[in-house]
Amino acid sequence: MLKKMKSRSFLVMMAFLLALMTACSGKGSDQASGDNNASAKDGNKIELTFWNIWTDPSPQIEASKKQVEAFMKEHPNIVIKQQNIPHDQYKVKVKTQAAGKQLPDLIQVWPGAELKPLVDGKLIQPIDDMLSHWSDLLPEEKLGDYRMNGKQYALPGSITPTSLVYYDKDILKNVGYDEFPNTYEEFKKLIAKLNDKKIIPIALGNKAQWILQSSYISTIGDRLTGDQFLSSVLDSGDKKFTDEKFIQAVKVIKELADLKAFNEDFNSIDNVQHRDLFVLGEAAMMIDGAWSLGPLLKDAPDKNVGIAVFPKVEGGEGDPAAVSAVSGTGIALNSELKGEKLKAAQEFFEYFYSKEYFTELLKANVLVPANIEPPAGISPLLKEVSKLVSHKLVPVYDATLPTNVTDILNTGLQEVTLGTMSPEELAEKLQKAVDKQK
Amino acid sequence: MHILSRNKWPIFIGLAPALVIYLLFAIVPIIISFYYSVMDWDGFTDMKFVGLENFREALTDPIFWSSLKNNLLVVAASVFGQIPIALFFALLLNRKLKGGKIFRTLGFMPVVISTVIISLVWGMMYNSRRGLFNKLLEAVGLENLAQNWLGDPKWAMISVCITMVWQFVGLYLIIFLAALQNIPQEIYEAAEIDGASEMKKTRYITLPMMRNSIIVAVILCISGSLRTFDLIYVMTSGGPGHSTEVLAMYMFDQTFSSTRYGYGSALSLFIFFFSLLLVYVSTLVLKRKET
Repeated sequence: MLKKMKSRSFLVMMAFLLALMTACSGKGSDQASGDNNASAKDGNKIELTFWNIWTDPSPQIEASKKQVEAFMKEHPNIVIKQQNIPHDQYKVKVKTQAAGKQLPDLIQVWPGAELKPLVDGKLIQPIDDMLSHWSDLLPEEKLGDYRMNGKQYALPGSITPTSLVYYDKDILKNVGYDEFPNTYEEFKKLIAKLNDKKIIPIALGNKAQWILQSSYISTIGDRLTGDQFLSSVLDSGDKKFTDEKFIQAVKVIKELADLKAFNEDFNSIDNVQHRDLFVLGEAAMMIDGAWSLGPLLKDAPDKNVGIAVFPKVEGGEGDPAAVSAVSGTGIALNSELKGEKLKAAQEFFEYFYSKEYFTELLKANVLVPANIEPPAGISPLLKEVSKLVSHKLVPVYDATLPTNVTDILNTGLQEVTLGTMSPEELAEKLQKAVDKQK
Repeated sequence: MHILSRNKWPIFIGLAPALVIYLLFAIVPIIISFYYSVMDWDGFTDMKFVGLENFREALTDPIFWSSLKNNLLVVAASVFGQIPIALFFALLLNRKLKGGKIFRTLGFMPVVISTVIISLVWGMMYNSRRGLFNKLLEAVGLENLAQNWLGDPKWAMISVCITMVWQFVGLYLIIFLAALQNIPQEIYEAAEIDGASEMKKTRYITLPMMRNSIIVAVILCISGSLRTFDLIYVMTSGGPGHSTEVLAMYMFDQTFSSTRYGYGSALSLFIFFFSLLLVYVSTLVLKRKET
């Protein structure tokens, strides 16, 4: 009896599994045949595959998606097949698929160090011959992040300053500052005054280790070393990380830590938590990228916030008004694209990066690299920021340095603030890693 | 057993699917790691053969050694923290205690909670300005004992280890409780007739009877803490500096964030050999006890 039951349940199980399997495969074949029909109906349809990270419903992504849809409507013979992949997985996917040379026709890319391996591996092709289309809209000096070996590989959709000083105007007024200090010496006095009043001078959350690099050293380094520093360290080798000026820049960060300019738990909270400190009024300033602007406007719309750039440092060779900024994502063309498909892709590019697109982005509080009139109704803070960034942009360290050097810098800066590593030691370590790359 | 002697093919066919999957997803990747570990590769451009350069670099890399030291600290904290504490509470809960079930559930709770949540909550408790521990110390007038728990390289590793002990005590508690239920009551009764005290009963009956469970727990504990990654990743991401870096995290960072696949593979092979060694040593030690 028992045996019989067992065999029967086994049969039922097998039948169930079989049903499951056929159900799965049935669905798969349906889909495939559907695709075939579509292409058969319309013989000369061009299909472009396009991978991107457009998964969130953010205004920037919505605007981008709308551009793609509008393009397909106006160009019925071109189909753009998107794959929207979440950011972290996207990066892994591109890396693995690149190793197998199986990238799509259009690839969303990041500038600088992230772009370099794709260029070195000859996986994407330059777009120089179509650049003239944007000569009025996109000034050449704002495209540099996507230029490599003298060739342009993509266009930035947006621009993100990584190092802005947000300050609480009311608190600064309380300690006697109507204006944000212009020099580093004055800035240090401000910090001392805030400390006397038991207000955290600068909110910092460096647990993830990149803030000190992206928002601090990128601009402070430029104040001291000048804007050609990184490229000459990496390419010609005329300058070195062990140069006095760079060490001085690291010493500025060490000095800030020694002056107790930061909340004492700055190594164990993250950059969202440090924004909370600022929003709640516990800290008078925070040095952060433009990405904090949106959340700040949302969380504390009535706060009396001013925005400045890091003050001038005595003896520095850089432009005291420069801001480190990184270009937003762009789209690159697969190097294997040619003929009809290449032409379709070019048409898509010209359509995508239009004046209307950049205006839409500005309305969504996104800074753009394009020369356009800001539309009415954008927030005054955003206007302030776009004024600050219109002056001069300098490269962000992690967008320029090879990733392993960035990693050394990230942890190294944290160790410098803890006193477990000296600025000189960090400089030496960085230079060693750079030399090894050559 | 006549099936076994007659025809071995059905057995092989039965084993094949599992075997293939195991080979494909466990053994083959290890072999591929060997191959990557002698290469210099960033995942985009062509690989370059560098021989044993990656291994040489790892051995001279101070961060590798400090990660190893931290890893050993985690193993030690787990073996000498989790197991004695779990044993103590198991012995306690095994008595006819009022609300024993509640305490058992409470003890096991941390094992069920996701590590990410544990890390975030403990991170808040450790916070130096707002955290529970410093506030408590302040409340009882001991504010000079307050520390920057996770932000100070001296304390960060200790703080992480404490959380880890707390997280897994419950697991071993349950294992030990199960072992305790399996000890026949008759032995205790016999001992009582002989006039054995509670201490003696624990020392000469309970602990020897639980020997095998304790050994299993120790091995689980060692292998578990060698793999440790998630808790530290969320709580400190290896920082401040490299003070809470463990091998698995260092390997992950080198491979996926610095995109040095070759060096990362070399590191993972070191972890592999190191685990083998530790398991071998621990079986040796336990075997010696047995004889």
